[in-house]
Amino acid sequence: MARARMRRGAAAEEPEISMTPMIDVVFQLLIFFLVTIKPIDIMAHLDVFRPTLDDQKKEEEPPPRMVKIVVYRDMYTLGLTGTTADDKVISVANLEKKLAFLAGLSKSQTISISCAGDSPHGRLIRVLNLCAKMGLTNLSVTSLR
Amino acid sequence: MTPMIDVVFQMIIFFVVTIEMEQRLINENIRLAMSPDGPAIEKKDPRTVVVEVDADGRITIARARISAQMFTKIMRKAVSENGQNTPVLIRGDARTRHSDIRRVVDACTQAGLWKVSFAATKEKARKGT
Repeated sequence: MARARMRRGAAAEEPEISMTPMIDVVFQLLIFFLVTIKPIDIMAHLDVFRPTLDDQKKEEEPPPRMVKIVVYRDMYTLGLTGTTADDKVISVANLEKKLAFLAGLSKSQTISISCAGDSPHGRLIRVLNLCAKMGLTNLSVTSLR
Repeated sequence: MTPMIDVVFQMIIFFVVTIEMEQRLINENIRLAMSPDGPAIEKKDPRTVVVEVDADGRITIARARISAQMFTKIMRKAVSENGQNTPVLIRGDARTRHSDIRRVVDACTQAGLWKVSFAATKEKARKGT
């Protein structure tokens, strides 16, 4: 009898954690976040190479020929560096095909991209995106003088 | 149980506040061009200098408007502190003229920085989530 009373006493002394306030607070927080959260756009970084000042000094030796894309305000041209005769106006769809062909040959080749001063930045990003799509990562971006 | 809940709440508050602070440093008026095939940012170098160029060609860093000369000085300081491989991320509006972007890129070149990348939107945030 006495033993049973002792057991009941020990059970009464055990502290109980009330979960109700915690659940209340968690729900409050949940509602707060659902209301205030702002979805964020997923970003991409398009890396490009820039000639350093040291590279500019070394320009005495003729640079190797590479594929050149020129971004104008309303068109793109494709040609080879060191020449202007081969530059041809090209549509975005054809440019994609050409880049896919070039990527099939070698993905490590350098693509030279030149931009006209009045061309919108979005057009350059479009070319960089196409190069990224084809796996061409060696991109040199310069500006037309 | 109580100390654990305390710590968890502290962490939630910490992350909410720090994420908000990072968001506030970005100019929300800049509309980035889309690049669905560009590589997504997985780990950002803490030394990265984020420079923004809006549609009118204004240069800003952490929402503070600066001139091209001032930007060159900042870049030179960044080179002296962190070296020439300090990454520079250019957040240019899709409508910005390339000549305005060129001012920023040329300033980086003058300072000796070569690790330049352009920010673009890989995927738009879904509305209503």
